[in-house]
Amino acid sequence: MQQLLMAVITMVAGVLACAAYFYGTNLILDLIFPSKGRSGAKASRNLRISNAIRPWLFLFPALFAMTIYLIYPVFESVWLSFHDRTGQTFVGGANYVWMFNDGEFRQSIFNNFLWLLVVPALATFFGLIIAALTDRIWWGNIAKTLIFMPMAISFVGASVIWKFIYDYRAAGTEQIGLLNAVVTAFGFEPQAWMTIPLWNNFFLMAILVWIQTGFAMVILSAALRGIPEETVEAAVIDGANGFQIFFKIMIPQIWGTIAVVWTTITILVLKVFDIVLAMTNGQWQTQVLANLMFDWMFRGGGDFGRGAAIAVVIMLLVVPIMVWNIRNAAKEMKGH
Amino acid sequence: MIASKRSSLVLFVHLSVLLLVILWTIPTAGLLISSLRDKDQLAVSGWWTALSTSSQNLTVRAPGPEAQQQRDGKFVISGNVLDNPGAKVSAFGFRTQEPAAFEPGQTATLSDGERLTVQEDGAFEIVSDVAMEGSRGQRIFVQAAVPSRFTFDNYREVLNAEGIGASFINSLTVAIPSTIIPILVAAFAAYALAWMPFPGRTILIAVVVGLLVVPLQMSLIPLLKLYNGVGAFLGLPAKTYVGIWLAHMGFGLPLAIYLLRNYMAGLPREIMESARVDGASDFDIFVKIILPLSFPALASFAIFQFLWTWNDLLIAMVFLGTGNNELVLTGRLVNLLGSRGGNWEILTASAFITIIIPLIVFFSLQRYLVRGLLAGSVKGG
Amino acid sequence: MRIEVQRFFGRKHVKTKLILGAAALALFAGTASAAELKFKPGEDAKFNWKSYEDFKSGHDLKGQSLTIFGPWRGEDQVLFEAVLDYFRDVTGADVKYSSSENYEQQIVIDTQAGSPPDVAILPQPGLIADLASKGYLTPLSEGTDKWLLDNYAAGQSWVDLSTYAGKDGQKALYAFPYKIDVKSLVWYVPENFEDAGYEVPKTMEELKALTDKIVADGGTPWCIGLGSGGATGWPATDWVEDMMLRTQPADTYDKWVSNAIPFNDPAVVGAIDEFGFFAKNPKYVDGGTQAVSSTDFRDSPKGLFASPPKCYLHHQASFIPSFFPEGTKVGEDADFFYMPPYASKPDLGNPVLGAGTLAMITKDTPASRAFLDFLKTPIAHEVWMAQSSFLTPYKGVNLDTYANAPMKKQGDILLNATTFRFDGSDLMPGKIGAGAFWTAMIDYVGGKPAADVATDIQKSWDSIK
Repeated sequence: MQQLLMAVITMVAGVLACAAYFYGTNLILDLIFPSKGRSGAKASRNLRISNAIRPWLFLFPALFAMTIYLIYPVFESVWLSFHDRTGQTFVGGANYVWMFNDGEFRQSIFNNFLWLLVVPALATFFGLIIAALTDRIWWGNIAKTLIFMPMAISFVGASVIWKFIYDYRAAGTEQIGLLNAVVTAFGFEPQAWMTIPLWNNFFLMAILVWIQTGFAMVILSAALRGIPEETVEAAVIDGANGFQIFFKIMIPQIWGTIAVVWTTITILVLKVFDIVLAMTNGQWQTQVLANLMFDWMFRGGGDFGRGAAIAVVIMLLVVPIMVWNIRNAAKEMKGH
Repeated sequence: MIASKRSSLVLFVHLSVLLLVILWTIPTAGLLISSLRDKDQLAVSGWWTALSTSSQNLTVRAPGPEAQQQRDGKFVISGNVLDNPGAKVSAFGFRTQEPAAFEPGQTATLSDGERLTVQEDGAFEIVSDVAMEGSRGQRIFVQAAVPSRFTFDNYREVLNAEGIGASFINSLTVAIPSTIIPILVAAFAAYALAWMPFPGRTILIAVVVGLLVVPLQMSLIPLLKLYNGVGAFLGLPAKTYVGIWLAHMGFGLPLAIYLLRNYMAGLPREIMESARVDGASDFDIFVKIILPLSFPALASFAIFQFLWTWNDLLIAMVFLGTGNNELVLTGRLVNLLGSRGGNWEILTASAFITIIIPLIVFFSLQRYLVRGLLAGSVKGG
Repeated sequence: MRIEVQRFFGRKHVKTKLILGAAALALFAGTASAAELKFKPGEDAKFNWKSYEDFKSGHDLKGQSLTIFGPWRGEDQVLFEAVLDYFRDVTGADVKYSSSENYEQQIVIDTQAGSPPDVAILPQPGLIADLASKGYLTPLSEGTDKWLLDNYAAGQSWVDLSTYAGKDGQKALYAFPYKIDVKSLVWYVPENFEDAGYEVPKTMEELKALTDKIVADGGTPWCIGLGSGGATGWPATDWVEDMMLRTQPADTYDKWVSNAIPFNDPAVVGAIDEFGFFAKNPKYVDGGTQAVSSTDFRDSPKGLFASPPKCYLHHQASFIPSFFPEGTKVGEDADFFYMPPYASKPDLGNPVLGAGTLAMITKDTPASRAFLDFLKTPIAHEVWMAQSSFLTPYKGVNLDTYANAPMKKQGDILLNATTFRFDGSDLMPGKIGAGAFWTAMIDYVGGKPAADVATDIQKSWDSIK
């Protein structure tokens, strides 16, 4: 209990420190470059300077933390990717050459593209549908909670859940996997789902869609509720039906959020590895980049060079998404 | 006409949500039912069979010869093969190869001349003319219809585990500050990126998106090195709560900034402009207008950040340590599984024990995801 | 760095309240050493208490701390803690043991980042070799190799297993084997054998004949499950290694695991096909071959106990009884026999395949040296033997301390081994032994010919050279 109390105190202290930082720096800035009560030219000069500085005050803690926790490791990875397994001898591009000649790597790239095509689309789609529909029914909150549950289940739990879905027992014996029980009930042969190449990728994807729909739903639900009532009411008065309102009025207004959800899940898919690790560990041709990286990094002492090279590829794959986001942000700013 | 169309549409909505909810809940329901089942049954029959009476093949060992009693000049061992009062025997046998060779009530003659009878209610009798010898009891194989039975044993086992309370507190100590601090930091950054014009803004946004993809595993070694260095320099331990809070903050910030910036950018421009005209500074605008308006976004991010920190195992293991006093709840539960990771019954129960707190968080924050915060304002931007 | 953690919390005053960990640890400080010893020193004469008393002199570690990182969790952790209590008691050291589900990853991160535990205990020689070559391990005290040679059965095998090349390329003894699992075991239910009139086979020929007989009687002989989540495939590697030792001399085995002969050498392909004899015949395995690769190894042995039995035989290491149905008594309800060698190849003797954990010094302190010395005392073995699930090749222990007859029987197998070989997949580089080999076995059971999968593995091996 004492520990928890201290946690609360620290938390409050931390929050206060943050608040004090933002408030304090802001105050100091206003004191150094006052704009109120000054004559026109000086005021506008001061205003210009403080307006140029203020964003950086707001951004500083975030940028600082991200630099240490993310940007520094990125540079470290790039550096490692040009070194051997111990991270000490420079080997030039050897790791990259090896990578592109490695069958497992090509397999992973292919699988990752499959994942990228399927998971973000399905998760966002279901999330949007559920967010929109549950808004209109009295038990919507209950429904949302149930859909959200998979997100809250720790990954260790989720892997057992899916064992009880995909488990395979020989034909003629009692199935403990739900999917095979259904299949045999219809008179078909039971299948060892995880071992069927190509299709097994989709069975693995189903798990991530199952988990991530809750994420999409919560974010999109918040966005849908941010839509001003008037726009919807106006459409209703104009005689629009439910579908028209949804597609013509609501979707365009939350388009930005849909893109954000899509982007987030896409990036998550690039990093997906615990599902694959726990269910197949990349066997039966289900390998994905992040799991391959993990494999090379840590298994049997690890090969930091190759692990880092794969990490660099994962990070490079995000570039198109970055470019697309830059464009969006630029467009948005013109609109402002 | 229109009314009936409306109501059929409403019905359609209800049905489709119901369908989706069922689809999404079935796996979890399976886990819930499994967690209430006997652990030996888990690997033998599907969880859905636990709901109804099922036909099972049981192997029961009769008491050994030391339990025999003399009755009418015969030696008798008796007892009951069923421990579940509602169950019914449909067949029995004494050889594992033929577990259902006899009907209840029939008498089977064993290889050594003993006679075995099992009744429908499970009562059995082994009768022998001479005193029975040996050290072990006879195996009896029965086919029985067993009604569903549930047990809280799995939960009891998990909750009684040593140190689980301390781990629970460790988890809270990690998760709460790791949720709140990044939100505050991210909110300011998001506002700057959404509404304060400065050179390089779009590039920064792109950098934030790019940082979303940095694989966590790549950061662990350089960061722990850094922590060790800083720790040694300051004479402090390297693995502390402060360290893990900052780590969770660092890893969570890109998503927080990205989500919040998107939300804030969608807020109507007119509100801010009218506030500026009134002479409000950016700081005032942020604290008095943006922050309250962003509550749904803040709440939704808080839910996720809490979830991740609560369910995280990797970061906690690396930055907090694996010692007995440092274990967070996830670590403790995983350790319960034993060195070879069997014991699914423990997994099933612990999955539901860990889910409780995140669900409470979800419920309590869900009411902030409300409609109408923007009601009355004009949609812009 | 962990040692600093404790020093800081244990002695110095807590400087800043921000460091919450301080409160947490201070709360629990001192509880560790107060634990009671499981078997009272001096009481039960079957224990070697003299070794315990002798250890006391020269090992006073009061006020020192020792952190140990190992693979044991859950029940095993409790058993090991009981052993540690004796070390605590006799030295006065403050010992902290910890483990992690991802211990492999954890030890890599901790050593690489410069905050290793004092002593690490790991089951993978491949990982140990890597740590040694990166300079994270300290060679053990001089004479340890001689000690192993003299005191462990098949001593040379153990010395070879514990010797690795350091950062400078110099070979040295870096690890100390402690706690062994025997893998060459076949499990069965004695009463099912009795009912059906089967005999325990003494030779591989008899085992194959028994397999056919069971099929002829309308039964299914084997339960084989290779599933293990992310590690799916590993039980097959044990099979192949066992067959390798039963068809080839031990030095061919050594050449195989060091890749001195290619993986697709006819000797290896032959051993894979020996495994295939059992696993790829749909009549021999419960559920047919499709079930082999997807059945979880933890579920697989349950078939022995089904009614009617799903199978009569199960090949698995000595740890498997933890996955038998609750209440199963080993030695009565279930038993095992030594996976027999071929009568036609008498020169191969009685080879035993095993695995085990090795202790090594990751930070050179008096306490970690003392702990490694402690492992050389019979008592450090006997206390665990007397609890359960611990086998040792140490000739100096009293076999009567084994907790039960089946364990003693396994201990005998270990001591009577003419050849002992460590699990080959653990000796191979991680990418092969814990990757390509597994995948290839799945492909093999899935229908690919042995020569093809062996060539696949050799290709991966070439790529990491």
